[in-house]
Amino acid sequence: MRIGYYISGAGHIGLILWMFFGEMFNTPPQSFEVTEVSVISGAEFDAMMAGVQTPEVTTDVAMPAPALPAEVVPPAESRPDPTQPTPPEPQVTEAPQSDPVPQQPDPLPQRAEAEVSDEAPVIAPPPQEEVVLSPNISDRPVPRPSERVAPEPVAAPEPDTQVSDSVTEEVVPDEEAEVVREETEGGAPEEATTRIVTEAMEEPSAAPTTSIRPRTRPARPEPAPVAETPQEPAPQQQAQEQPAPQSDSTADAVADALRQALEGGAASPAAGGQSGPPMTSGERDALRVAVQQCWNVGSLSSEALRTTVVVAVSMSEDARPMGDTLRMLSYDGGSAEAARQAFESARRAIIRCGANGFNLPRDKYAQWRDIEMTFNPENMRIR
Amino acid sequence: MTRLLTLLAALLVFALPATAQNGPLRIEITEGVIEPLPFANPAFVAENAAATELAQNIARVVSDDLIGTGLFREIPPSAFISQITSFNSPVQFADWRAINAQALISGAVSVGSDGSVAVKFRLYDVFAGQELGEGLQFNGTQAGWRRMAHKVADAVYSRITGEGGYFDSRVVYVAETGPKDDRRKRLAIMDYDGANVQYLTDSNSIVLAPRFSPTGDRILYTSYESGFPRIYVMDVASVGRRALPTQDGTMSFAPRFAPDGNTVVYSLTTGGNTDIYRMDVSSGNASRLTSTPSIETAPSFSPDGSRIVFESDRSGTQQLYIMGANGGEPQRISFGQGRYGTPVWSPRGDLIAFTKQSKGRFHIGVMRTDGSEERLLTASFLDEGPTWSPNGRVIMFTRETQGEAGAASLYSVDISGRNLKQIRTEGGASDPAWSPLQR
Repeated sequence: MRIGYYISGAGHIGLILWMFFGEMFNTPPQSFEVTEVSVISGAEFDAMMAGVQTPEVTTDVAMPAPALPAEVVPPAESRPDPTQPTPPEPQVTEAPQSDPVPQQPDPLPQRAEAEVSDEAPVIAPPPQEEVVLSPNISDRPVPRPSERVAPEPVAAPEPDTQVSDSVTEEVVPDEEAEVVREETEGGAPEEATTRIVTEAMEEPSAAPTTSIRPRTRPARPEPAPVAETPQEPAPQQQAQEQPAPQSDSTADAVADALRQALEGGAASPAAGGQSGPPMTSGERDALRVAVQQCWNVGSLSSEALRTTVVVAVSMSEDARPMGDTLRMLSYDGGSAEAARQAFESARRAIIRCGANGFNLPRDKYAQWRDIEMTFNPENMRIR
Repeated sequence: MTRLLTLLAALLVFALPATAQNGPLRIEITEGVIEPLPFANPAFVAENAAATELAQNIARVVSDDLIGTGLFREIPPSAFISQITSFNSPVQFADWRAINAQALISGAVSVGSDGSVAVKFRLYDVFAGQELGEGLQFNGTQAGWRRMAHKVADAVYSRITGEGGYFDSRVVYVAETGPKDDRRKRLAIMDYDGANVQYLTDSNSIVLAPRFSPTGDRILYTSYESGFPRIYVMDVASVGRRALPTQDGTMSFAPRFAPDGNTVVYSLTTGGNTDIYRMDVSSGNASRLTSTPSIETAPSFSPDGSRIVFESDRSGTQQLYIMGANGGEPQRISFGQGRYGTPVWSPRGDLIAFTKQSKGRFHIGVMRTDGSEERLLTASFLDEGPTWSPNGRVIMFTRETQGEAGAASLYSVDISGRNLKQIRTEGGASDPAWSPLQR
């Protein structure tokens, strides 16, 4: 509350002080000059302004005179409107004048008869130019011989005697003394030959170019049925006889491996033989894609679409399926009737797309002569 | 010594060329194509002059049946290299292979002196170069030539696809005429393809939801003839009908036969509550299967008759439930967004078709019997009332267009969702029910 009184009191005091002493802040008015002017009448003003002419605004501007043409050009004729058909003007035909009678040309001057003799003139043969075989490549200019090195060696000057703090006798190598050589490693100059032998000229190496796919591990032979022994041997006897069968089994395994290797090599020609490297995944995929493009499952039943069939087929050497070899090896997931439908669909696919031969490497015929295709419609089912 | 022998053996194994064949080349095909199978169906051979027109007509119907499935494509006759002039002449498979015909139908028709008609056919797998199945012959009358053609098509379809056919079947539906606010409805029956339409009732009263018996000789339907909905049984041959017994003041509707043909399940509304009942057709004895304050309706038996699928709003929205044939605690199978109704069990037993309303649109869909693998096959302003073909491969339903001039018509779709097409009818049509294959 007091603050208000203070403010109000300060304001009133200030106002009173301004009323008493406010005049001291007023600046005195500045003095101004008074100039006497003469008053003139309107007639005098007009007489004074009579000499000043205001420009008139003119809108008509004279066109510049055209340049005189060098020749007088006749006015262009108005062209007929092509859209407006012009009536055909009647052509005035004049009476044909009779052709002028051709006048007889002047007789040609008679040719002077040439004098012909029976003997043929002797024609001098043209001067034959000497043909010089020019070399295709000009000879390389032979450098002018110059003696850059003095033909005779100049005798070397005697070496200066070296200055030394002490007098030393000159040591001359004794030619008769034995030469002691330092131990160094043996070396030989790089091999050199008189002719360059390229790879093409090299004789073929006997090393195999391709590695042989390792054969699958042979199935472990079934244990031979052991005849029942009436009496089991004593434990000590078993312990003594234990090493003997082990050595036999090892020897048998080695013998089996040898035999299989030998049999494989011997049986290959009869079996057709595997030639070339194994089929690549790209070659397999090409066959798979070719078949699946013809495998139409649109007309299969729902049950057949749940049936996977394995189809075997033998191929001819021109990569065509042999129809009479097509057979269903097995099926899974459906009834026999559904499997039959699925097999027929697969058979159509193989025959239809293989009619012109599949794109298979001919050099690997032994590997695709017999094919087993598994048709799995899992991805084609109605979902 | 042993090590030495082993090393020697290893060297020999790897040194000798291993040229033996390690079995056949094995590949697995997991992708195929889905496209109509091209077939050739030359005009059937007319074995006498009287059979000329019939032979052409029968071949035409056979082709139409196969093409209509969406699974087959007919090769036009103009592409044929060779013709079949005799039913017993050998087939030049190379000529048919050249035009990519994968199946070839060879048929012949003869008309006997007594007017009887004999239709025989053979089916060939062109690329295999052999006959698919054995030749068949059907005997009938001239009036029944379409049925014979349908039977030939059924046999061809079955031999190629492995499924039963559905061409020799009929459809009962509600034929509709007049504007939307004064629509007249009556029962009609036709061949599955819209031919041979016959009207079973007049249009004096509203009829709803006709359903075939398992043998196709009777029809259940709901009629407002008495002023309130009531279930009737009609004999198809004689068009005679009778009403199922019911209590006064109740409304019964949505009937459907059990697979045995002697039992009917239906909905009964009494006291404002709708529940599902079953009734023995011959005795009229009824038993109640559900007893909840909610609305239970649209029951449908499983093919083995052991379970019933129906719709109920007991959870607050319209959903599908399955219960035993004699009632019991139902199990909900639909859990998607929207409302589900009008469930129908597939003849195969593996799927349930339904109507779904979601986000302002109607759909026809299918799901497994446990509610899994739901698939919506159609979508429109109003799709409803699915019915299965006899082989469980095709679904027919009602589609109604929008607006004052909107009309109902019948459509069919493959269970894969492909081959949606309209069934030709004379006027408006709704509430279809597919019959079993005719005998």
